[in-house]
Amino acid sequence: MKKSLQLLFVLLLVCGSLAAQEKVEIFGYFESQYLGTNVQSKFYQLFSNKLRLDLKSDLTDNITFAANFDYITYHGKKEWNILDFLSPDIISQVQPGLEPFYVLDFSNRTFLDNAYFRLSLKHFDLTVGKQQISLGTGYVWNPMDVFNIKELVDPTYEQPGHNAIRLDVPVGNAYTITALYSPDDTWKNSAKLIQFKGRISHFDYSLIAIKKVWRFHDYAQFDYEKMNFLELPEQRRLLGASTAGELFGMGVWAEFAYNWMGSTDNFYEWVLGTDYTFDFQTYFMVEYYRNTLGKRDFTQYTLNDWMRVFAAEQKTISRDQVFILIQHPVTDLIHLGLQSIYSISDHSVALVPILNYSFSENIDIMAYLNLNFGKEGTVFSKTMGNGGMLRARLYF
Amino acid sequence: MILLLVPSVFGQELTADEIIQKVNDQFNTETSYGKSKMTIVTTSGQKRTFLQESWSKDQGEKNLVRYLEPRRVKDQAVLMLNHADDIWMFFPRTQRVRKLATHAKKQKMQGSDFSYEDMGSGDAFIEDFTSKRLEDEQKEEQDCYKLELTRKEEGGSSYSRLIMWIIKENFLPVVIEYYDEKDPTYLLKTMVASDFRVIDGIPTSMKVVMYNQNDNTQTEMELLEVKYNITLTDDMFTERSLKK
Repeated sequence: MKKSLQLLFVLLLVCGSLAAQEKVEIFGYFESQYLGTNVQSKFYQLFSNKLRLDLKSDLTDNITFAANFDYITYHGKKEWNILDFLSPDIISQVQPGLEPFYVLDFSNRTFLDNAYFRLSLKHFDLTVGKQQISLGTGYVWNPMDVFNIKELVDPTYEQPGHNAIRLDVPVGNAYTITALYSPDDTWKNSAKLIQFKGRISHFDYSLIAIKKVWRFHDYAQFDYEKMNFLELPEQRRLLGASTAGELFGMGVWAEFAYNWMGSTDNFYEWVLGTDYTFDFQTYFMVEYYRNTLGKRDFTQYTLNDWMRVFAAEQKTISRDQVFILIQHPVTDLIHLGLQSIYSISDHSVALVPILNYSFSENIDIMAYLNLNFGKEGTVFSKTMGNGGMLRARLYF
Repeated sequence: MILLLVPSVFGQELTADEIIQKVNDQFNTETSYGKSKMTIVTTSGQKRTFLQESWSKDQGEKNLVRYLEPRRVKDQAVLMLNHADDIWMFFPRTQRVRKLATHAKKQKMQGSDFSYEDMGSGDAFIEDFTSKRLEDEQKEEQDCYKLELTRKEEGGSSYSRLIMWIIKENFLPVVIEYYDEKDPTYLLKTMVASDFRVIDGIPTSMKVVMYNQNDNTQTEMELLEVKYNITLTDDMFTERSLKK
């Protein structure tokens, strides 16, 4: 904590000095969040405060430097026992003595999220350093994106930065070739990506090939040397395609990826979505997602399946799901919405009423309830906890 | 923006089609650049101010809008090609570019009383509507042609009807009334232009206010800087440029 504060102090001092010389643009936001949920007749509360500091500087006409520094503090219930959310038959798969390790720990964090420079010349852009990598056209799920997993309730939240070297080469005005290398401990284990993006009529499309090590864990076995669950890394090779455009006045998008795995079963994922804005300003979206890594029935869910979803190692636990969003501006400052995520595989559903309030020019307030209606053992079961969140964000 | 960037042509006794053609032709100079301030007066009387830059090329066929202020939306950008039949939006926080379908044109721009449809697609008056000349009138102390524009059956507009007062001297619309999608007698919004100046030899309305009769709100768009017929390359109107 002391080191974090020192780092923050030094950063603010450097930024202030650079900003005074008008070399660096400094901006960002402060976000205060309250999360409350009712789990097994107990009401847990977690408060967090996040300061995100963005720096951006045009060093020359062709070179840009950008970075984000995040400082997050947590208060209230900072350790959540994952077993509290699981059904007895799943808990029975836990080896005796390992129970204390099934914990989500919300410790204060200070980190450099992104830090990169970008060289932009006539024929290419070269971005080197820690950077956001956003792939695919899906709103909630992105089969092509092996780097990130979006939050189900808030898919538009920013994604973490990844260390990478990225080259974007435009070919004419409608086509781009992207090559990306994200280093790991060896060349073989490093992620490599190549993507071609183009346009046909009113449709954008992309074709992608990725090779990356997927660092799964076996949450039933413990590695006492590393004091963590046993890591099971394996090579993943992905071929995918995506498109986005318009059909009969409605927005449509689709995304597909086939994954060849080094030692486990191959699998595929696809997304199909559509949206529309009615004349009375109501916005409607529906997105369907299939992931054959997910299970067809909730009786097939294992401890590993649950833990990999909690640890954001895989996108879903059930095979087929659909996301629905209806949003309406009730006034010029308030949007009310209702999200529903339905697991077709296990027939469970979560309803998420959302309120977005533009409190002032640079302050947004967001609140939602998360209500689960599935039976025990399903992905949106009542044991997952019913609760809500209130978040205020101030931009500066 | 397009409502503000209107150059001049002089007319004699003209038919409705000829008048609206002249208005349409003048909406779209070869290229243009504008820096504008948008002030929204909300239902509760609060003011919200946005600062934005926009570039236009090929008689309005290509448009790029980038927000400068407030911080909440800084660097968000919208690219519209093919007269806004293709729209992409860039979100700097997630570094994502999202392709939007044309129904997104109905959405309010940053919660203002202008929709994306009001701001783009310069040829919509001709493509989406049939026009009829009504009796000339004085409006906002200007000698005006008065036109009624009725949406064509295949028209893509979310307005059923427009009533437009066009200054005879320079073919700038000084007032436009926008009527409901379903009910052509129900007035939704009224746009009033003012502060007419000649920029680079081209008459321009520097201020436009959109009054929303339905929500009892208003949005003012003020041009702070404008340039016409400047050199812009096609590279500026690409996804690559959107992210910069």
